Amino acid sequence: MAPVLLWLIMVLCLLVSVVKYVMGIILKVSFPSAKVQKDYSYQPTVSVLMPCFNEGKTVYETIESISKSNYPPEKFDVIAQDDCSADDSYEWMLKAQRDFTNIRIRTGRNAANSGKARTVCNAMEQSSAEIIISIDSDCIFHPDAIAELTACFSEAHMGSVGGRVGVRNPNDSVITAIQAVIYYSAFQLYKIPENWTRSVCCISGCLFAIRRELLQEIEPAIRARHWFGIPVNQGEDRFLTHQTLLRGYGTYINNDALCWTTVPNTLSVLFKQQLRWRRSIVRDFFYTLKTLPQHVWKLHPNAVWTLILTPLGALVGFLVVITALTSDPLAWAGPVPLVVALGIGAVLTWVIKKYSAREAVAHPLAFGAYVAWSLVSSLLLTPLALLTMDSADWGTRTKEVSEVAVGDTSS
Amino acid sequence: MATQAANTVPAETKKSKVRQSLHYKMVLTLYRVFALAMLYLVLAGILAYAWVMGFYAVNSSWAAPVILSAADEKSLAFREQLVTSQQTIEDVKVDLQKMQSGIAEMSKHRAALLALEPQLQEAIAREHSHNRATGQQLATLDTQKQADNSKTQSVLAQLKEVESNIHNDLAAGLITKGDAATQLSALNQAESSYTDSKIAEVLLTDNVLQKTTTGTDSLDVLEKQAELRSEAAQLDVAINVAQKELQEDTRQIDRLREAITTAKQSPYYLIASGGQTLYFAFVPYDNTASAVAGSAIYDCYFNMVVCRKVGDVKQIFTGEQQAIHPIFKTQIRGFLIQMDLNGKESAKSRTVFLGRKPILF
Repeated sequence: MAPVLLWLIMVLCLLVSVVKYVMGIILKVSFPSAKVQKDYSYQPTVSVLMPCFNEGKTVYETIESISKSNYPPEKFDVIAQDDCSADDSYEWMLKAQRDFTNIRIRTGRNAANSGKARTVCNAMEQSSAEIIISIDSDCIFHPDAIAELTACFSEAHMGSVGGRVGVRNPNDSVITAIQAVIYYSAFQLYKIPENWTRSVCCISGCLFAIRRELLQEIEPAIRARHWFGIPVNQGEDRFLTHQTLLRGYGTYINNDALCWTTVPNTLSVLFKQQLRWRRSIVRDFFYTLKTLPQHVWKLHPNAVWTLILTPLGALVGFLVVITALTSDPLAWAGPVPLVVALGIGAVLTWVIKKYSAREAVAHPLAFGAYVAWSLVSSLLLTPLALLTMDSADWGTRTKEVSEVAVGDTSS
Repeated sequence: MATQAANTVPAETKKSKVRQSLHYKMVLTLYRVFALAMLYLVLAGILAYAWVMGFYAVNSSWAAPVILSAADEKSLAFREQLVTSQQTIEDVKVDLQKMQSGIAEMSKHRAALLALEPQLQEAIAREHSHNRATGQQLATLDTQKQADNSKTQSVLAQLKEVESNIHNDLAAGLITKGDAATQLSALNQAESSYTDSKIAEVLLTDNVLQKTTTGTDSLDVLEKQAELRSEAAQLDVAINVAQKELQEDTRQIDRLREAITTAKQSPYYLIASGGQTLYFAFVPYDNTASAVAGSAIYDCYFNMVVCRKVGDVKQIFTGEQQAIHPIFKTQIRGFLIQMDLNGKESAKSRTVFLGRKPILF
């Protein structure tokens, strides 16, 4: 009975995913109402908050890309906040502050390593803008990114808007090629049905815009996040999006607001990143279950389904893979999964090449390796996430944190 | 008073915080212990899984016990096939006997027919020889007879005159009526004798013709001879055909018997023939070398360790079988062996090992 139930839930989760992708295509092609009516004349004041930890010179490149934004310079500023990096990130921030005088740049440094979420909150304290855009310090931004994000806030109930994250290094390795395809399809298809109902469940922290008053309202909750006394500093993007929805605001991803991130190019780094994400998903799932009635009454059913079925799919996927590996261990090695993956990879690679040449994957066959990765991720990530919920480790940028002699500094 | 209240609230808050902190600490400790145990369990599970996969990929002495029942589809089909084959043998045997009797009868008939042939030939030859001899004599006699009759005819012409004289003498009273009647009767007798001679002559001529030429009687005899030969030839053909059928049926019986003999070497025959509980195991072709009659069988915990001897290989069946690999779940080819087990529990194990313990203990 139990295996049947497992398979049923798994099939349901897969079906929802497939339906979302198919709906994504249909909505993209046929329903203009799925898109927000953007108003580019709406130009609120904007603060671009850039929390930074051990990014080195990349911080400089990130600020440089923002400095080229097609948004009135007097209407936005950049607040770069260093979270006690062990490298020279802070020096690069200061250099950027000196070099890019066409925009206002403020820099600051936490008194102690606090994690990304609290660093964003610390940076926000220096801002008085109407719209807060939180960005990752390893991304490169399209000049129109800020304008595209703010244009979506013309809809009064819009609480948070995200941009599309592309991959800067699609051809570094097979791993980056796979991520390039997944990132593209996730933003261009999977998120579209959520966009339609203005209930995107997770806006990427790489490019996250939110109304100031809303962020201020959520800030205490961000600072208070903990897991049995251990501060939670991961998955702030998912948390912020979730809180936006629960407060009755809409969430949206504007695929015309572009940024490009450097994705992990080794298996170990990718695994750490995915493990961190999986922890956020699991934590978010527990929170959803804890406050399920509130979700059912307040949120669009589309959002509730996504918030429940996405993590449930990950949890059940683990059990299904275990069942599959014990009942038919070599089934995954058959040609069907590989052919399906190669087919999907080939189509998406062609689409990416046609519509976003910058992210084009040189070797479409690389996506075949997704079969092995999906098996490993389904099998290991969920149990590991469940068993390391107390971990505050970011995973991908860990270096020995130097003692910061100075206190919370800002300039 | 107010100061006391103010002091009480932070103290309670502090107390509550300490309580919460202790609560968190306890939960965290429990969680960490549980998580650590689970992580080691997961790790052990992964390693064990990988080990089992690797072990069965390289091990060449495992066999998978198979429980065969008389009610199994294969056993039932086998039994049905066996019964059908035996019934066919019986049917063919009856046909064979009938055919053998028929051949014997036909052979006897043929011999009888062929025995008539020389007698017929002899009779024909004898008749021919006799006719040749008597025909010649009869022809001579016929000529003599004709000459005699010619002479008699001329004598009879003179008798007309004698008859007239008798009548004249009677009329003259020279002779009595009695004498005249006697004389006339003598004349009639002479004429009658002549007629008889003529008849005899004709008959003799006819006889000569029969003896000297081929008549219809001879043709009848020849026809009979031809019929005799034809019937014998037909019998030859029928006997030939029957003998061939006989040979074919004999060969079919041999083939069926051979098939039954082969089938009797199948585990399904042993099961179908009923009686005691029998234990079998599937051996993949890769592990053929380990399947030797009389070699020991080991049953192990976790399908590979802490093994104990549970019996011996009793018999090896050559017929190919297909089965699902007990670990990899792929279809594999191999054969069955009969196991002589000490206890029935090992027949339910997923795998047993032939010849030796798989990993020393």
